Amino acid sequence: MNMRYVSVSLWVAGLLLALLTPVFGSPTMVDITFRTCSLVVLAVSWNLMASAGLISLGHSAFFGLGGYAAILATNSAGTPFWLSLLGSLVAGAILGLGLALITGKMRGIYFAITTLAVSEGLRVIAVMLPDLTGGAKGAYLAPDNFPGAFTVNMAMGIAAVGTCLIAWAISRSRYHFAFRAMRANEGASQMLGIYPLKYRAAITAISGSVASLAGAVEVWHGGYIDPALAFDLHITITSQIAPILGGIYTLSGPVLGAVATTLIGDATRIGLGHIEGASLLVFGLILVGCVLYLPQGIRGGIAQFLDRRSKRSASTPMPADAGQR
Amino acid sequence: MDLIPQAFSDAVLLAGLYTLMAVGLSLGFGVVRIINFAHGEMIMLGAYGAFWLFTLFGVDPLISLPALIVVGYVVGWLLFKGFIAKVLDAPHINQILLTFGLGLAIQHIAIILWTGNARSATPVYATSSFLIGDVLVVHGRLVAFAVAVVMVAALIAWLRWSETGLATRAVAENRAAATLMGVDVRRIYALSFGVSCALGVATGVVVSFILTITPFMGFPMLVKAIAIVILGGLGSIPGTVIGALVLAFAETFASYYLPEGSGWAEGIAFVLIIGILILRPRGILGEAVET
Repeated sequence: MNMRYVSVSLWVAGLLLALLTPVFGSPTMVDITFRTCSLVVLAVSWNLMASAGLISLGHSAFFGLGGYAAILATNSAGTPFWLSLLGSLVAGAILGLGLALITGKMRGIYFAITTLAVSEGLRVIAVMLPDLTGGAKGAYLAPDNFPGAFTVNMAMGIAAVGTCLIAWAISRSRYHFAFRAMRANEGASQMLGIYPLKYRAAITAISGSVASLAGAVEVWHGGYIDPALAFDLHITITSQIAPILGGIYTLSGPVLGAVATTLIGDATRIGLGHIEGASLLVFGLILVGCVLYLPQGIRGGIAQFLDRRSKRSASTPMPADAGQR
Repeated sequence: MDLIPQAFSDAVLLAGLYTLMAVGLSLGFGVVRIINFAHGEMIMLGAYGAFWLFTLFGVDPLISLPALIVVGYVVGWLLFKGFIAKVLDAPHINQILLTFGLGLAIQHIAIILWTGNARSATPVYATSSFLIGDVLVVHGRLVAFAVAVVMVAALIAWLRWSETGLATRAVAENRAAATLMGVDVRRIYALSFGVSCALGVATGVVVSFILTITPFMGFPMLVKAIAIVILGGLGSIPGTVIGALVLAFAETFASYYLPEGSGWAEGIAFVLIIGILILRPRGILGEAVET
């Protein structure tokens, strides 16, 4: 059995599922797929930053900004659906670029702190400019341009597939190796002729723009936005838990993780929904548990399991770097 | 009426509280080299501890303070031994995510135990006040300021004159050299992480009769504490005091003089973080800290 064919066919099946469910699925299926796709976009986006050594603790900043960009564009200028999504992409890219430039040479902790502060800061701005954003009361999407639920669901599916394709393209390009070098040692990577700022700006722009896109489609889906919803800590948390749970720095990890996170979220909501706060407690414990005991996530766990099995049948050693791609 | 003396007094009192809030975070970073993203949750736990002791048993927060500090130290020590110690040599990302996850879990345990309702401890001095000239001083804020000054002074004294304090400073300055001098670095790490958490809890106790207590209170306070620590330079106590003064003055004057200022004041920490990272990433008094 060739592992490569298995993984390719799993990918194709997953992508088809994302695109075909809005056409054929039951309402429940469509809903679950929508939320999963949204999280896939966020998780892959988070993972793109992480793979360059940049830890975002404020992914809700991009998500919320995208949502507000879409709703402002369409409510004030009557921008049609697809064009408003484009606007969100641009807004997210600008925020990402700005973050990369502000944090400059500083890595790790400073980047994390800045993202955290940016999402808090944007939330304050959204509350304090009620004429523009509707303030704490929030804003409703004007229904004139609403393209129908089907189109919105399709858009999220396309966004998820597109984000995965972008991540795949990056993993095939020289960027992949540049990021790995930067993650391991930025100083040394510079000696290899990598100009870190260029790569960092590129990755934060791409990552920021797709995360904003998710926020924009969510707004069209829900028809409503307010600062607490847009810059929700929940978004930040799920978009980092998904890749960590699935397998950080990998291509399929964030996708696996997004599916698992959505299912776990739903399961806790159904099973423990009567206890307020239980689902985020579970996420917190998962985060701690993964960091301590499952640093390569589900994907790493599966790889280890297969490794042990293949060792038992035939004693071919697995490459040590398996699961890095 | 001239508002400047009033704003000035408010800002100074707030700065005391902010110093206490940030100094624990700064100590944890300076020694263990880990930013504890669960520090806000320590503050929250301290506030709930003081609140429940006051509400259930009528214990004044100032009387429960020493006991809660000890509890905070033990909790911090256990967190270190149970979790932090395992990621000391791991990449930054693991350290950040671990403390973030711990904070998340603690916050939601609090929600499950005590619901999301807002509460507040109300000893008599919480709302009573007196006038100096035109300046109104709330007793509770003055008490908080006094506690903060005593706690920070005690911390400085401990670092300066006690043997463990000296060892802690040695570890902060040069881990390898401290090891060679016979300092048990792991023990000092656990100790200073415990002290850092105890300072967080002490902040919470003080805050319990000044602000409303909710399980969510930790996160905004964490952002402010981080702003102060970055402002003053990571790991410097005088820097922390200056950072606290800057934040307190900026927030107080913004809320007095800007239209709808008290809302905007909440965003000042964010502006300061961005500003300082652009202009002077080492902080006002900080030394270059490689991260």
